[in-house]
Amino acid sequence: MNQKRIWALIIFIIGMLYFFIPLLSVFEFSLRALKGIYSFEAYRVAFQDPRFYESFGYSFVWAILTILCSMLLIIPTAYWVHLKLRKIKPVIEFITLMPFVVPAVVLAFGLIRLYGKPPLVLTGSPALLIVGYITLSMPYMYRAVDTGLRAIDVKTLTEAAQSLGAGWGTILFKIIFPNLRVAILSGVFLTFAIVMGEFTFASLLVWPAFGPYMEEIGAMRAYTPQALSVVSFLLTWLSIGLIQRVARGAPGQGQVAGAR
Amino acid sequence: MSRTVTPVNRLSDGDAPKARPPFIKFDWAWLGVTPFLLYAIFFLFYPSASIFVRSFESPEGHFTFQNIINIFNRSDILNAYKTSISISLITSIGGALFGFLLAYAIVLGGLPASLRSFLLSFSGVASNFAGVPLAFAFIATIGNAGLLTRAIEAYLGIDIHAHGFSIYTIWGLSIVYMYFQFPLMVLIMAPALDGLRREWREACENLGGTYLQYWRYVALPILLPSLLGTTILLFGNAFGAYATAYAFSGSFINLVTILIGAVIQGDVLYDPGLGNALALGMILIMSLSMVGYAWTQRKAARWST
Amino acid sequence: MAFLDINNVSKSFNKDTAAVKDFDLQVEKGELVSFLGPSGCGKTTTLRIVAGFEKPTTGLVRIDGKDITNQPPNKRNVGMVFQAYALFPNMTVGENIGFGMKVAKKPAEEIKSRVSELLTLIHMPDFGDRYPNQLSGGQQQRVALARALALRPEVLLLDEPLSALDAKIRVALRAEIRAIQRQLGITAIYVTHDQEEALSLSDRVVVMNGGKMEQVGTPFEIYNFPKTEFVAQFVGVLNSTRAEIVDPANNRLKMDGQHLQTAESMDGYHAGDQVVVAIRPERLSFASDGHKANLLECTIENIMFLGSIVRVTVKVGQYNLFMDTFNNPFLELPKIGDKVQITCSREAVLVVK
Repeated sequence: MNQKRIWALIIFIIGMLYFFIPLLSVFEFSLRALKGIYSFEAYRVAFQDPRFYESFGYSFVWAILTILCSMLLIIPTAYWVHLKLRKIKPVIEFITLMPFVVPAVVLAFGLIRLYGKPPLVLTGSPALLIVGYITLSMPYMYRAVDTGLRAIDVKTLTEAAQSLGAGWGTILFKIIFPNLRVAILSGVFLTFAIVMGEFTFASLLVWPAFGPYMEEIGAMRAYTPQALSVVSFLLTWLSIGLIQRVARGAPGQGQVAGAR
Repeated sequence: MSRTVTPVNRLSDGDAPKARPPFIKFDWAWLGVTPFLLYAIFFLFYPSASIFVRSFESPEGHFTFQNIINIFNRSDILNAYKTSISISLITSIGGALFGFLLAYAIVLGGLPASLRSFLLSFSGVASNFAGVPLAFAFIATIGNAGLLTRAIEAYLGIDIHAHGFSIYTIWGLSIVYMYFQFPLMVLIMAPALDGLRREWREACENLGGTYLQYWRYVALPILLPSLLGTTILLFGNAFGAYATAYAFSGSFINLVTILIGAVIQGDVLYDPGLGNALALGMILIMSLSMVGYAWTQRKAARWST
Repeated sequence: MAFLDINNVSKSFNKDTAAVKDFDLQVEKGELVSFLGPSGCGKTTTLRIVAGFEKPTTGLVRIDGKDITNQPPNKRNVGMVFQAYALFPNMTVGENIGFGMKVAKKPAEEIKSRVSELLTLIHMPDFGDRYPNQLSGGQQQRVALARALALRPEVLLLDEPLSALDAKIRVALRAEIRAIQRQLGITAIYVTHDQEEALSLSDRVVVMNGGKMEQVGTPFEIYNFPKTEFVAQFVGVLNSTRAEIVDPANNRLKMDGQHLQTAESMDGYHAGDQVVVAIRPERLSFASDGHKANLLECTIENIMFLGSIVRVTVKVGQYNLFMDTFNNPFLELPKIGDKVQITCSREAVLVVK
């Protein structure tokens, strides 16, 4: 079986090369702002731009809002569906798959056309933005919560709590949520990563989020975009790392996101 | 001495539980899912339906097939579809192939477990790194002043751009897309490969089969639904991608998503009916891929545990 | 000459511990031998060495005189039934059974008739087109058995095939397995941790512990004449207590103040030696039903109704002993807390190391 191992190693190394050369390149590139030497000049420029903080802060706030709304929308739904309305589960799951069928661009298009003119003008406020964000992160938030619910046998927990006299509020907040903590946190961090890096909705709906900011820098400057790219990578790494840290040992982890 | 006794019949009429009227809990539960359903209707179904309907609407507001016909008439739009589909096919099949090999390498390849957990962790990060930052990273790699470009020129004396190669082509973008296609494949296939039971391989060997025969008759057939399904998923993923392409090449590369974006931004092409038709085309293609996906899963349902 | 010769086989996975130590067994043709022991005792490892999935660190395996120690598993003519996930899920029952022949490139007609023959053997003639996920656990294992037999192997290996099944099915299926094995006259090794299974199925039993063979013998021998404390305790329910030798010449012992006489030879023992004494529950009875050589005073602790057997727990000094009597609905049993006398013969008292 040694031959198998050699081939496996070769493939692994090729994979690693493919993944790390771009990372190395972008880092190296970001250090070359000043001719002839390596320096963090590009980073200095990036971090001294007030708009960096504005757009980053903007996206950060929206990430939090998205997370809150998403949780409010999805967790009770997942819980009720799991516990009471099993029959409707396929419908809910189909809905959570819709964002794959209707890509971000198309959805943005539809939302703007529909809600961009009277009687229901939503384009003036960032309402559509949060709609877009929630829709993008919905499949992952739902799947995280659903996996968590399945792993903790909600029915038995609920019935045990009821037999001990607990009301719905107590059940939800003192029993279900704490046990779902890991699953919810996974969904939260993933949503955070998605929103921070999101470009499509923010750009098409014209809101000053971090994604469009990065793209603008890319059009205007050299070297600084790469510095931002490195920052973005580190941020993503942090978010996903947190998920994996939090989810260690918990059942059903390993979140997957797609392209945007 | 007598120790005999008569056995006692312990059976008696038990109490049958009284029938209780069903307790109606429906109010609570439906209240719980209503917000979600409303959200889905207003912000998912309704927009999608309106896209469908308006595709058949002329600028004046009459019913027409013209928008659909225009898609086939206008070469730039046909090209956009061709390009989008090409990139999606390349990156889905290529991503599936190499992604599968990577998953195989870390699960069944006999490599240390640390490599496996590293690749899985990294794949989680890489699949999220898509979009604008990824585009910049590849510009820094194989762009005109990219590290790889310079390295190849310095050590191999080849100027990869001299012969007309540009990264702003289908192949260039495909290489970029692979950065999130490979990890997606690895993340989905690694657990699937894990699901291949040791007993199946041993049973096959025990019955005289070689390793290759095991793969041909047992492992690949079992994995095929996952393989096909994920490939289709990769296709849809690439087809709907916008940010990466936009940041990477702006309008150099003609993609359907870019076109729709252009319509939204009120660029040259401003023609909402056409925009609707483009969007409709996308929805149709994506729906077809979802149907294909469901079909592959159903074929396996016959024998899957 | 033995048909299957497992010759001084040892297996270590790392430097410190040996999974199997000096396993030496000669199996006659047509014999069914069980490997019995707790988890981790090496029984499955030994089986896998015979199958070819593990290579022994030292020792040989021979079948019918041929040394197969270094043969890869797909070249040996042994059939294996696995504990779980035995069948290929993507193939029908018929395709599973015929798989070995398909790999051997046998003609389709021959495969078809052999599959049909085997389906009849396992009493599942109409199941050919079903998929494993449509079968119950017991049915799946029967198909696994048929598949292992399809190529007419020289030796049949079964790795805890019934462990994953319900109790009732286990009992029915093990009788079926034994019947088929007998009918075909095929040499078989059966690995299990269930001593009832081993005792009821086998021609001989190998009791294993910590990689070593503790004892080899017929079920009768293993149960009634255990050679070590481990065997005595593992096989069947057993009362074991500490006792002190009082008078070796007259086979007398003292257990917690009460006297016992054994029929076993006390050669090599001295007065004052501490030994372990074992008595099977069914060898104890109420003294009121008839006196035997040994008499013990005790108190009734518990009475368990097990169906055909009533298991009475009695307290003798510091020890709780089990006593099994046949169920008799017309017989009144003493109550918990009663003081009674129990008795057993001298032969019932086993002295084990």
